[in-house]
Amino acid sequence: MSQLGLSICMGLLYWVARLRLGYTISAMFLQPIVLSPIIGLLYGNLNKALIIGAGIQLIYLGVTSTPGGNVPADPALATCIAVPIALTINLDPQMAIALAVPFGMIGGLIDQIRRTVNATWVHMADKYAKDSNTKGIYLCAFIYPAIFGLILRFPPVFAATYLGHGVVETFLKALPVWLTHSFQIMGGILPALGFAITILVINKKSLLPFFIIGFFIVQYGKISTMGAAIFGICIAFLFTQFVVSNKRGVNE
Amino acid sequence: MVKQEVINKNNDIKPEVITKMDITKSWITWDLGCEMSSSYERLQSVIFCAAMIPILKKLYKTKKTLSEALIRHLNFFNTEGVAGTIIHGVVIAMEEEKANGEEGTSNEASGEAITGIKTGLMGPLAGMGDSLIWSIWMPITIALFIPFAMQGSILGAIGPLVLYAGSCMSISYYLYHKGYYFGKESIITLMQNGKISELITGASVLGLFMMGALSASYVTITTPFTIKMANSSPIVIQKILDGIAPGILPLLAVFGIYFYMKKNGPRYTNILVAVLIISVLCSVLGIL
Repeated sequence: MSQLGLSICMGLLYWVARLRLGYTISAMFLQPIVLSPIIGLLYGNLNKALIIGAGIQLIYLGVTSTPGGNVPADPALATCIAVPIALTINLDPQMAIALAVPFGMIGGLIDQIRRTVNATWVHMADKYAKDSNTKGIYLCAFIYPAIFGLILRFPPVFAATYLGHGVVETFLKALPVWLTHSFQIMGGILPALGFAITILVINKKSLLPFFIIGFFIVQYGKISTMGAAIFGICIAFLFTQFVVSNKRGVNE
Repeated sequence: MVKQEVINKNNDIKPEVITKMDITKSWITWDLGCEMSSSYERLQSVIFCAAMIPILKKLYKTKKTLSEALIRHLNFFNTEGVAGTIIHGVVIAMEEEKANGEEGTSNEASGEAITGIKTGLMGPLAGMGDSLIWSIWMPITIALFIPFAMQGSILGAIGPLVLYAGSCMSISYYLYHKGYYFGKESIITLMQNGKISELITGASVLGLFMMGALSASYVTITTPFTIKMANSSPIVIQKILDGIAPGILPLLAVFGIYFYMKKNGPRYTNILVAVLIISVLCSVLGIL
């Protein structure tokens, strides 16, 4: 596919990813791990796209829209810009992760614009309700937000994928080695942010030792994630059976 | 009786019976559009109203009563879209009661009572859903499949999509119908059930354990720093750290960021800038 065709596809993909059509389906569809293989298929490098996607996913693991639907960062924008550029100019995964971060932050702002403008449809729905125009209310709930979403989401990703790889390539060529190395260090540290946010949203300080148990079981035992999940499920089950049942829950 | 503008063709203003299909239609509308039209002003109000349309059209046959019902459901509403669906079920049951009730008799559920149930329950159910569905279940399902993606397997993408969305949609479908059939009592039973707090605790244990296990695999910080000695072999810092416990630096990074956010709130930008500065400094000084 030509660069223009690919950029159009990416713009549309980002729009679909952030359309939020389907409550929990769309919540998965905006995750780097789900978006990246689609980008990989478009760019003909599924394997590398998945590896970069998994790396970006680690930063955004605990990023949810709770409470009240406010998103602090946008994993979908980070993915839709960083992965195509990384595949075009053959960037190594850690550099791609560092590149993704600033776009994730911009994406948080874009969503604020969406939710501000969405108030317009509420006022239109008020009028439709007065006339008992049910079709109008459906339009306000689905079609108008979708059209506005296309106007809002398509241009940044289209522009970034169409022009971005050239800019990034020149920029990276000019970078001294110590700075490239710092981006690699950053790529190694950033997943810690994703895990820290997840601990924060789980919000049970008194249960923190379970984090440390999980950490060192893998450090010393070198077991796989599925293996860790088996231990984790058993420990969680035993804990609720024998400890919590007697005390009625753990608060914080 | 004052003549009113009737919407349906056969001029019958009696409410129709709500079928299982109607409730399923309402659920599909809700699940599809739950966050699409969300706005800062009234959050999920438009989609709640839209989800009620298949029900309200069957219950209210005059233009005036239908319009009243639609306006009623455009009030501020916001909850967690999976656990909160029990509200929708209860509201459908109450709307049916209201539409069938004789005007002025005691068995008529009032519009205020319906709005009261909605606003009273959306908060507690959102809290329950946010902590179980979004804060614990979502990171776990994604995390389980990250290793597959790391190896370049497409299962890494399909796994979370099927497991997370599939399980959540089953729960919300179940609660939607449950709420209708058992009415207000179903919510009281759900809220007072000690099993829920047990479930949250158990899920939190699993969540924290898994985050620990994954941090060990995916946070990679090692130091190449060595202290050169005049007449013996150099001291390799990483070896000393590994001797104390493997993975001390990644663990410090996670807890450092966690305690910062615990104290100052989730300031994403500050942390990213700090990580950038630390990375550059450590790179220049050769520490990391």
